[in-house]
Formats: sequence, C-alpha cells, structure tokens
Amino acid sequence: MTVSDTPTGRDALSSRQPDDVVAAVFHAAAAERETVLIVAELDEQGEPVIRWANPMASELVGLASSDLEGTRLRDHMTGLPGSRLSSMCRRERSTTTAVSLRTATGERLACRVRAVPAPDGRLWTLQVQRAQSDRELALRASADAHEQRFRVLAERSPVPTMMSEQGMRLGHVNDALCVLLGVPADRLTGTGWMSYAHPDDLALITDTAVAALSGQEREIHARFIDSHGLVRHTDMRCTPLHTPGVGDGFVATLEDITERLAFEAQLSYQATHDSLTGLPLRTRLWEHLKTALDDPDAPLACMFLDLDNFKIVNDSLGHTAGDKLLVEIARRLKAAVRPGDLVARFGGDEFVVACATASLDAALEVADRMLRVLADPVDLDGVEIHPRASVGVVLRGPDHATPDDLIRDCDIAMYQAKSRGKGRIMALDEGARTAVYDTLTLVSELRLALEERTITLCYQPIMRCEGADGELLSVEALARWDHPTRGPVPAEQFVRLAEEHGLVRELGQHVLDAACASLAEWQRQLGPLAPPRINVNLSALQMNDSRLVQAVKRTLRRHGLRPEQLCLEITESALVIDPAAASAILLQLRDHGVQVAIDDFGTGYSSLAYLRRLPVTYLKVDRSFVAELEDGHTMVTHAVVGLAHSLGIGVVAEGVETARQMEILEEMNCAVLQGFGISRPLDGPAFAAWCRAGYPRALASAS
Amino acid sequence: MTTVELDIDDLLESLDTMASQRPVAAQIVAMTNDDRAGAGELAAAVGADVALATKVMRLANSAYFGLSGRVPSLQFAVTVIGFNSVRSLATVALAGIDDAHALPEGFWHVSVHLAVASRTVAPQFQVNPTDAMCLGLLAELGAALLHQADTNGYAEIVAETDLGAERFLAESRRYGVCAPELTADALQQWSFPIGMVDALRAVPHGTEGAMLRTAYELTGRITRREHKPTPLDRLSERRVSETQTRARIAAIRADVTDLRSALGL
Repeated sequence: MTVSDTPTGRDALSSRQPDDVVAAVFHAAAAERETVLIVAELDEQGEPVIRWANPMASELVGLASSDLEGTRLRDHMTGLPGSRLSSMCRRERSTTTAVSLRTATGERLACRVRAVPAPDGRLWTLQVQRAQSDRELALRASADAHEQRFRVLAERSPVPTMMSEQGMRLGHVNDALCVLLGVPADRLTGTGWMSYAHPDDLALITDTAVAALSGQEREIHARFIDSHGLVRHTDMRCTPLHTPGVGDGFVATLEDITERLAFEAQLSYQATHDSLTGLPLRTRLWEHLKTALDDPDAPLACMFLDLDNFKIVNDSLGHTAGDKLLVEIARRLKAAVRPGDLVARFGGDEFVVACATASLDAALEVADRMLRVLADPVDLDGVEIHPRASVGVVLRGPDHATPDDLIRDCDIAMYQAKSRGKGRIMALDEGARTAVYDTLTLVSELRLALEERTITLCYQPIMRCEGADGELLSVEALARWDHPTRGPVPAEQFVRLAEEHGLVRELGQHVLDAACASLAEWQRQLGPLAPPRINVNLSALQMNDSRLVQAVKRTLRRHGLRPEQLCLEITESALVIDPAAASAILLQLRDHGVQVAIDDFGTGYSSLAYLRRLPVTYLKVDRSFVAELEDGHTMVTHAVVGLAHSLGIGVVAEGVETARQMEILEEMNCAVLQGFGISRPLDGPAFAAWCRAGYPRALASAS
Repeated sequence: MTTVELDIDDLLESLDTMASQRPVAAQIVAMTNDDRAGAGELAAAVGADVALATKVMRLANSAYFGLSGRVPSLQFAVTVIGFNSVRSLATVALAGIDDAHALPEGFWHVSVHLAVASRTVAPQFQVNPTDAMCLGLLAELGAALLHQADTNGYAEIVAETDLGAERFLAESRRYGVCAPELTADALQQWSFPIGMVDALRAVPHGTEGAMLRTAYELTGRITRREHKPTPLDRLSERRVSETQTRARIAAIRADVTDLRSALGL
C-alpha cells in the first residue's frame, strides 16, 4: 500500500515508520553515551518491569544490561513518599516523576524519570536524569554566579532600581531605591511601591509600566513621596523584561532629579522674580495673564499702580531709602490682594496686579484697599513718608487678546488717574482709550511725515516800522503739517507729540534745515530783497541736547549761511527746565555768532537775573499782551519793552494786527513788529513774491 | 478509622477523562510547560475558553496586580498574571473543580484563603508570591479528588478533623495518601514545575512544604472557629513568627475578597 492509497496514509506512515528508520533510532539509543534509557512494560500486577536498558543505564545502576532486564523497576528505584512508580506509566501521555535510584553499591541518587508511552500502549521508554547532574550543577552554579553578579550590581548601584516580577508587582528593589524613599525593601515589593507614587502621577506611572509590559521602552518624569512626606522628582526609565515561561515584567531606574529641579527652579525664580522685592517680573506676569486670557471664561482684572513722587524720595533720601520703600510697598501690596491674585513689579516704581475677578466693583475694592494700606507712614532713616500711588484698573474685554493689550489699557487708566491729581484710582474710560489710540496713530503718522519731509514751512516777516518806512529784519519759519485726512494739524499739537514721543530732534532738524535752505534760495533769487536773517523755533527739549550746537553749525555750513543769518527762538519755559544747560548751549551759539530770541516773553517764569546773563539778542513780547494794548492795558508791554531797552537788547512785538497797536508800540519805542498787520504767514513762493513787491504791509502805517 | 483501598491510578485516570472534556484547558497546561510559548500564543489559546479568559482578565485587573481596570487585552492580561497563574487557572478548569457541585464542604472558601495566605507569607520563604498563590489555590485539588472517590467518608473527615496536620493524618490513614500529596501526583502528571510538586508532597513533612503548612495553619485560624492553633514558628521552620499574625490575618481577610471576586467565586 502506498501513502496515497488511503486518506489516512499520512497518519499511518507516522505510526509505522520503515524498519530501517526504527533500526537507526534504536542503534543511536543503544550507543547513546549521555542519556540513560530504559524500556519498561507492566507485568500482570501492573508493576513496571525492565525489558531493555542501554549501556548508560547499566553504568548508572552498576549492573549489566542482562542483569537489569526482567527485573522490576522498584528493585532499583523508589518514588518519593506518597507516590507510586506505577503511576509514571500512563498510556495517555508522558509523565515526569522524581525518584530515588539505588545503585548496585547501595548508593542512593536523586533522579527524575520521564516516561514516554509507545504508540501501542504496552511499552514505555524511561529517560532517567540525575536530579542534579554535574552539568546541571555547573549550569546552576553559573546561573547563580550570574544572578549574584547582577544582584551586587543592582544593589550597589547608586541609581534607584526596581524590577517587576509580574505586572506592576515588584519582585526586587535595590538599596538606592530604599534610601530614596526612606523605607525598607519589604514595603516596596509587590504593589507596596505604588503607595509611594505621587497621587497625581500614579496614572502616568502605571501607563508607562503598561507600555513597558507591552515591550516598549519609556521615560517619564515621575514624582514619588518619601517616608517623610517629601516629594522626590525622578527621571523614570522603564525597560521591558521577558522571562521565558513566566511572563513579562519591567526594570525601572529612577534617577533622583529633585536637587537639579530645585536648582533649575531657583534659577528660573531668579530670572522671573525681582531680587529686591521678591515679586514676579514681567515674564512671569505675562505668563499669568496669558494663561488667564487663554481661558475665555477666566475672570480677570488688571491694575497698573505707579507710586507718586517716588523720584523725590530717591533724589532726596538716596537709592537705598528708595529701595527700602519699594520693599515695603511690595510687602503691603501682597498683603492687600486676595489669594490667587498676582502682584508683579513692572519696573522702577510701577507695579501690576492681576485679580481673578470679573467684577469691576470687586477690582476697585482691591485697588482701594491697596491705596489705603500704602498710605500708612513709612519711616525711611528717620523721615516719615506717606506713600501715595495712582492706580489704573481695567477688566478684561473682547479687545484684550494678549497681555500687552491688557497692560496697555490699564497703563492708560493709570495715566488718567495721574493726570487728574495723583493718589487716585481710575477705571479705564473708553473716551480716554480712544484718545490714546488716536494719539498713537497721529504719532505714527508724524514719524512718517518727517521721513517723507511733508512737514512744510511758512514764513512771517519781522519788520522795523518807522512811519511809512519799513525794513525787513528777519522772517520767522513756522512749521505746518497738512495731514492728508485730518487737514491742517495745529503746530502746538504736533510739536507736543514730537516732544512726548522722542521725535523732537528729528522735527527740529527738519525745520532748521528747510528754513536755512529757503533763506539760501531767497538770497540767490532775490538778492538784496531777500531777508537778511531767518528765525527758527527751538523746542525746550532741544535745549538739553548737547548735539544741538554741532547740528546748527553743520546746517549753516551746508547751506552756505553765516551764523548771524540765523536767530533761534526759545521759550521762557525752556530756560526754566535746566537754566545752566540752556545757558551753556546759548553761549556756545552766541560765540559762534547765532542770534537768540526769547519767545512769548512775559508768559513764563524766567529769572530776570538769568536773563541778564543770557546771551539774548531779542525779547519777543507775547501776542496776548499786544492784543490788550487797545484796551488800555499797556503796562506789561511797556515793562517788557523797557526791560529790553534797559538790558540793551532788542525787542519784537508779536501778533500785531491793527494800526492802533502799531501806534501804541511806536509810542513805546518798539518799532520791530510781527503779525497779521504786517503780513500773514506765507508759503515759500508767496513770501518771495511779497519780498519782490517791496514788503507791502497789510495795514497802512499809523502815521 | 476505616481504611479505604484507594486506587490512585484510577483517580488520576479520571482526571485525564475530565481533561478530555476541557481540551482548551489541557492545551494551555501543555503550552505553559513550554518555555518557547509566547504570551500571544497563550492568549490565543485562553481566548478559546470564554470562562477561563474571563477569569484571566478579572485576575489581571484585580487590585493585587496594581492595574485595576487598566488591562484591556487578554495578551496583556497573560503577561500581567504570569504563565504560572494562567496554568493554575487552566488546571482548575481542567480538573473540573471550577463548576463542580460535588466538592468538599467549604472547598473554595479554604482554597482561596490558602492562596492568599500562601502569597502573604511567600516572601519569608523566598518564593515568588504569585507562584505561592497558585500553589495555595491548587493545594486542595487532592481533597476534591478524594471527595469524588469517597464522598461520604471524606465528608466525615472534613467534619471531624481540623484543617492541617490532623486532617492530613486522617486522610493518610484512610486513603494511604493525604490531599496535598494527591495534588502533587496530579500536578506531576501534568508536568507542573518539579518545585511545585515537591512543595505539595512535603506538606505533611519536609522543609519544602513549610510555606504551605504555614498557609494551612493561617487558613485554619481564619476559617474554623474550633481550630486548635499550632505555633507558626514550628510549622514554618522559624520563617514566620506569631508576632505579626494579627496583621497578616487582617491582610489575608482583605485580599480574599479581591481574589474571590477575580475568580468569579
């Protein structure tokens, strides 16, 4: 019969091997020098009887094969107490049995017998192994040595290490882990260690262990709580560990990074907190505000607090006292706010408070409390100070997308408070905010106009008038800004903006340059009809600019003008700010040959003593005094004219508009006039035409 | 006490017969003896027996393994509880004692306590607690077999003897073998690790049986009011003292509920 002759041919082949194969296997078994093999069968009493034994079996027992064959198995081995040898011979499957084997010399050897039933169910092949053969002992010794090396390595390792036996259950922890958590090993093995995981991190730790049990390596930042209740931060690295025949576990090392994190936190704290007051700085404030703004439902009010007159404390009592005051203010502010509110030092004497409230009333209440606690006296080196502050308050609104938006608005509110008399609290006023936005826009446009040189000049002549005769002494350059959408912007407005936003030098240089260029051009065009001089106004702030003198000299040189062809007009207020600096600059200008006029004289508070020492060429009587001449109020103008004459300097009457005014001024011996009565301010070409026309006065001479 | 001629071979034979009725469990027991078997293959085999798979999942998600509710797959469950636990659960199914009605009085009550008591004292014997739990859980398998073979006689023994040495002696006198020894024969037949077999066989006498002897004593103290305590120091060969007994018993009581629930008992 061939295999293909029957549907079960394959099974039949496996159970009935060819004789040559069986012979080959038998030969190998008979010659086997490593394995003890015995073939047994059951006798009538069900006792295993030896039918055949290989040479190794003969050698182990110490009897010849022929002496073994036919003997009962129990003659050579016994089962352990309670077990019977016959139970090892099972027809259904193989068995393994521990036995005590007795050799011919009476020696007893612990062995294991594996009994494999033959297909016919009559015979069993018994494979006998020493329970602890030399090879096993060697392997065991080697394994023990490996385990010992590993144990020493793990236990002596300074890195806290845990090893799970199954799942989350630890079978082993090293000394370093016990030291880290301050508990003995027996409280960490099993699932005991999990009770030392920080409750907030337990889920993450478990997820990580689960990933490791699934064969993935993971690394996390995990917190544990030691036996003293202190939080230990660790870098936990989990590695899968597979044990054949047992299952999967993991090994985890926990690098203690508590000190490192504390150091980093300290550095971060120092970077984000003010070393003087301990308050958070802008970075931290920004983070706090951003977190709140990112949550559309988070209530938030922001307050900007600026100490009033702090500069006086610093200047009069010194910076140490100023610092002491700031520390005390910070302490009081922290005490005045509510839990969860943030007090930050914004800079200098400015503080910002972020309140978690959606109620303006509640925010104002906090602000009021802050001002009250601030007002308590502070003793600074024996001097009692009553600190005051101005506070701007704003509630978050739809326009506040970023911390910048919020800070900007409460800054606006604070300036409102300050401008209304200091020591006040102001909530943001929409009108004020709109005005500020408008101002900022205008400043931006002014900067553009300066870059594009669209600030233009017009010119108003200054003449000596004696009867019908008139002599053109100079011309005053007046800056004009014709805004593309707003129309003409008053000079007072854009000059103030330039002064407030750091554009005054650019504006002043632009006007000086354009004026000098015009004068040079007129001289070329008009010859003797051209004005001999041009007056240019200086801002008060320019009087503190040490580079002014050089700028003036360069400009004159560039346009080929002589210094005496330029007269710089300054206001009285410019002299008041820093008289010494102003005097020094004016002296340099006069030494160079430039003339100087005091503009709007009589409206400020200039010191007559200074006036005497200043190198002034002209005083210009303010137009308001000229305007009241016709009403009989001549005393001030008279006094100014008299003062100028007494000091030996020239005098110019501004704002002369009527013939009567001219008459009165003539009577006062003030012949140099400027105003609509002479000519309105004219643009460049119109002024040139006016010169060519012989300086026609708008009004006829009084005489 | 009357001696009963007990044919151990017949008893073991009956186990084989029962095993043929639970082929999946038999396959799992065979697989877990093979070091080459992986968790994936084992999980696939367990998955074929819904009742067994449920027990494995419940046990893996029990508080004992620290992963309550976090073990979603059978393969992961197998790795969590370990192959030995899977083999033990399969053996319970294989022996037909998971749903048998003809069991000795309080069989599972005692077995679950033995399992928890074993794993509680395992560290004192340098034994893997999970392996100890498996050992305790299966220790009374022999009692189930004796009860099947001699229902009335064995019921009498259970009723009249205290759990532990007194009962082992009574069983040996009546059947020539005590329950843990019979369990050892059965586990040996299924090729369980020789260490487990030896530990069971040495329960009446021998160092390797000290842990289970201790577990029997603790179980007796918990489950039987009339239990006559034997000093733990002697039973455990000085591994376990009496000083911590109250705390241990409290811990065992608490864990028993968890394990009972995990096993669906």
